[in-house]
Amino acid sequence: MVHFTNAVVSIHVPMKISARLFKHTLAPFARQAALSSCSYAAILVVVLSLGSGLSRTALAQDYLVANDDSFTSGVSFYSIGADGTPTFAQHVAGPGLGISGGFFGMNRLATVNIESTQCIFASEAFTSDIMGIVAGSSVAAGAATGSATDTGSSNGIGLAANKKHLYASFSDSSTIGTFAIEPGCLLTFVNDVAVSGLNGGIVDGLAIHKNMLIATYLDGSIESFNVASGTPVSNGDKQMSTGSVGGETYPNGIDITQDGHFAIFGDTSTNDVVEVSDISLGRLAPTTVYQTHSGISSSNVLLSPDETILYISNTQGDVVTAAFFDKNTGVITRGCKSASLKDYVSGWSYLGALALQQITGNGGGVYVAEFGAPSGIAVLNLELAGSSCTLKEAPGSPVPDEYSRGLLSVGRFPPRSF
Amino acid sequence: MGRVVRCLLLIALCGITCAYLTAQCPDRPASGSVVQDPLAIEGQNGVLQASFALGHSVDANGFTHYCYQYQTPAGVVEAPTLRLRPGDQLQLSVSNVIQDADASKMKMHHAAAGGTVCGDGGVATVSSTNVHFHGMPIPPICHQDDVINTLIQPGSAPFDFNVPIPADTPPGLYWYHPHVHGFTEFQVNGGAAGAIIVEGMDKVRPEVKGLTERVFVIRQQYLVPWIPGPYDLSINYQVSDFPQTGPPVIMMKPGERQFWRVVNATLQDFMPVEVWINGTPEKLEVIALDGYPLKETRKTQTILIPPAGRAEFIVQAPPAGGFGQFLTDAYSTGPTGNADLSQLLAVIQLKGSDAKTQPAKTEPASATQEASAKAPASIMRWSDIDSKPVTAQRKLFFSEEFGGTNGPIQFYITVDGQKQKVFQPDERPAITTHVGAVEDWTIENRALETHAFHIHQIHFKLLEVDGKPVAHNDMMDTVAIPYWEGKGPYHSVKVRMDFSDPTIAGTFLFHCHILLHEDLGMMHKILVLP
Repeated sequence: MVHFTNAVVSIHVPMKISARLFKHTLAPFARQAALSSCSYAAILVVVLSLGSGLSRTALAQDYLVANDDSFTSGVSFYSIGADGTPTFAQHVAGPGLGISGGFFGMNRLATVNIESTQCIFASEAFTSDIMGIVAGSSVAAGAATGSATDTGSSNGIGLAANKKHLYASFSDSSTIGTFAIEPGCLLTFVNDVAVSGLNGGIVDGLAIHKNMLIATYLDGSIESFNVASGTPVSNGDKQMSTGSVGGETYPNGIDITQDGHFAIFGDTSTNDVVEVSDISLGRLAPTTVYQTHSGISSSNVLLSPDETILYISNTQGDVVTAAFFDKNTGVITRGCKSASLKDYVSGWSYLGALALQQITGNGGGVYVAEFGAPSGIAVLNLELAGSSCTLKEAPGSPVPDEYSRGLLSVGRFPPRSF
Repeated sequence: MGRVVRCLLLIALCGITCAYLTAQCPDRPASGSVVQDPLAIEGQNGVLQASFALGHSVDANGFTHYCYQYQTPAGVVEAPTLRLRPGDQLQLSVSNVIQDADASKMKMHHAAAGGTVCGDGGVATVSSTNVHFHGMPIPPICHQDDVINTLIQPGSAPFDFNVPIPADTPPGLYWYHPHVHGFTEFQVNGGAAGAIIVEGMDKVRPEVKGLTERVFVIRQQYLVPWIPGPYDLSINYQVSDFPQTGPPVIMMKPGERQFWRVVNATLQDFMPVEVWINGTPEKLEVIALDGYPLKETRKTQTILIPPAGRAEFIVQAPPAGGFGQFLTDAYSTGPTGNADLSQLLAVIQLKGSDAKTQPAKTEPASATQEASAKAPASIMRWSDIDSKPVTAQRKLFFSEEFGGTNGPIQFYITVDGQKQKVFQPDERPAITTHVGAVEDWTIENRALETHAFHIHQIHFKLLEVDGKPVAHNDMMDTVAIPYWEGKGPYHSVKVRMDFSDPTIAGTFLFHCHILLHEDLGMMHKILVLP
C-alpha cells in the first residue's frame, strides 16, 4: 500500500496521459491517504455552516456552467453573450475534490429551478460528495455525501434531479443515492440502492423524467426505475441494449423527450451510434439503433428544446454531430457534423458533455466540454437550411476553462424546460 | 473491463504486499555500473539443451520480477541469450516455480476450440506461463511455438520445448517471452524475456565479421504495468535511472566499431534509438531489422524500434577523449496513447586503447554450423517472396473505444467486414488461408493511439506506408502504425505475407504488441490449412 501512495505523488507524466488510467486504480488509495489524517466530515460541516448565511441572489442572465471536477474542485460560471459567446464570470470553489476525468456519459451537473431558488448541483468525485450552489452565490451552499459505501472516486458521479430529489450514480460502489433537495440548495441524504447490469456492469449515466429514472451500465444494460416514492424502484425492464449485443458498443449518456415518450442513449463505440427506446408505457422497450455520421464514439447526447435536433458529442474524436430527431416517432436521420474542432490533440484529447446555447427552438448550437489541461469549452453554432444543416465552430472558440484540468461536464442555467 | 482492472490491481497489491515471501530471482545489476552482455549459451553438435525455471519475486522498491532462471556452476543467471545455428535443435525445458498463493484471484478460460490442451491445461492465471519464440519461423504446434493452447502451471513437471531451427532461418536477432493470454504483460513487465541469436550474420553481411558483438535487451518496468505512470527502462536489467543515479556504462575502445544487437523487450515503448558521439548523433550502420538482414547496409541517425522489434547495427566509438550516449528519443503515440519519453539508456565510456574489449563470439564447430556457413543468402527464407503471385488481398484495422477518460477501453483488431470483437481463446480464426498463399494485407489504424502489428510464425515484407511505396521493402515481424489524428485518412501499412512454408500450417496469432492491448484482446487467430 505504501508503494502505491508513493507512486501517486511521484507521477509526473502529462496530465492527459496520466489521467487516462492511473486514477482508475490509484485514486482510491490516494483518497484514503489524503483523508486518513483529517476528517472529511468535519470539512463538510464547516462548509455547510459557511453556506447557511449566503445571499440567494437570482441570476440576472443566462449562464453556462462548468463542473471543473479537478483536484481543486468547483464550478465555473460563464455569462452568455447575445451571440452565444461565453465570458468567464466567477469560479465557485467546492469543498471537496474532483478527479479530472471519468466516464463520458455522466452528467456531473444538475440545474434545477425550485420556486424562487435556482440551484446548481455538481458532483465532486474524488471525495464522493455533491455540492449545491445557489445561483448567483460566490460560495457553495453546502455539500452532502451518501452512505459510507457510496463512492465514485475512480470514474465519477452522475447526477439527475427533479424538483424534490437529486439522484446520484456512484460509479465505484455502483449505487444510486437519493438526496432530498432542501431549501437553499442543500441536500439531505435519504438512502441508496445497489444496482448493476445484467452482466454485472456498474452504473454509469442517469437521466430523469418525472417519476422515471433511467440508468445505463457498463456492460451494455439499461434499466428504468420508478421514483414516485423518492427511492428508485426498478421497473423490471433491465435489458441489454440492442446495440450492445456482440459487445462492440454500449449506451453511456441519456436524454429523454419532453413528453416522456422516448429515451435516447448515446453509445460508446468505435463509430457514432445512438439508440432510442420507447418508454411511453412506463418501461424501456427494446432499443432501435441509429448510426449517424462517421465520428468516433457518441457517449453524450442532448435534445434541442424543440426536440428537432439531437446533438451528439463524438467523445473520442474531434467533431460534434447534429442529427434530426422526430419526436413523434423517435426516428433519427442524418443531419450534419462539424469540422474538426480547434486545438484537438494540442489542447485537448476528448470531448465531453453538451450544453445548449438557447433554451428555445433548436438551441442555436451547443457548448461542448473539451477535456484537456487546462480544459476548454467549444462553441458551435447551428444553421438550418431546409432539410440540411451546418454546425460550425465559432471564431472565438474554444473558451478556456482555466479552473479545470479535466473538464467533462457543462450545463446551462436556466435549464431547458424538460 | 473495469472489473478486470480492479482484479489486476488486487494481484499487483498482493504482489507488493505479500511477495516478500520468497526472493526467487537473482539480484539485478546496480544502476551506474558497466553493462554486461547476457550470458550466452550455445549448443554442441547441433543441439542446444537448456533448462529454465520461471520464478517470481518482488524487489525492495516494490517492482515485481519474473525471471527465467538458468543454473550455471557459478550460480543462477537470468534470461540468457540462446545462440543457435540454422539446422540446430533447441531442447528447452521450462519449469514454472512461481510461488504466488494469490494467483488464483485472476483467472481466464484458456482452452482453444475443440479443447486442445498442450502442457498442463487448466485455467490460465497470472502465474501460468508458456514461451513464445518471437520471430522464429517455426511450427505453431505443441512443444514448439503454440501459445494458444500451451500452459505451464506453477509447480508442475517441466515442459519440454523441442524446436528444430529451420535451415533457412535468417541469421539475426529474435527473442523469447511468455505469451499467456491476459497475462503476458505481467511477466514481461517483470523481466521475463531474453534474446535468441541465429548465427551466421557474418556470412550474409561480412562487414560485421570480427567486430565485438554486444547484445542489449531493453526492458520496461512499471510499478503497476497497466498504469501509464512513471516507468523504468533498463538495459540488460540495469535500470537507467539517470540523473538519480549514474547511467549504465557501455565500454568501448576509442574509435572501435562494435556490432550492437538490440531487442525492444518493452511492454509498449516505441523507441527511436540513437547514438550520440561528442554531442552529435552518429550515423548508425543498420545491418538487420527484426532478425532479417537488410539487402544492404543502411546509414541512419535514428532507428525506430517498436515494441518487440529488433535492430542490429554497427556503432563506432568516439576517438580518445570523446564521449558517447545511447538513448531513445521521445515518441508520440497519440492523444490516447502513453507517453514514450526520451531517455538516456547508457553512456559510452572509453577504455585505454590497449585494453581488450570483449572479442566477437567464437562459435563452436558443429555439423549444422558448417552447413549454414555455406548457405548463400539467396536461399534464406522469404528471399523469393517477390517471385510468387499474390493470392489474396485483405484489409484489417485497429480501433479502440473509450467509455471514459480512465476507461473502460475496448481494444480491437478487425478484419474488414467482420464484427469488431475482442479476442477470446476459444474463438474461431478470423482469417483462414492455406499453405502456399501469398497475401497482401493493408492494416489501418483507426485509433487515436499508435499500435504495433505483429504476426507469429512468419515475417512480412513492408510494401507501402499510407498508400505510398516505401523506399526499403524490409522484412519485419512487427511494424508501427501511427495514430489517427482525428481527421484525414487513417495511417496504414501494406505488407506481404508469405504462407508458403508447410511447417507453419496450423492456427496462430496476429495482434498488437503493446502488451496491455494484446492481453485485453487486440488479437485474433489465423488458420493456415495444409
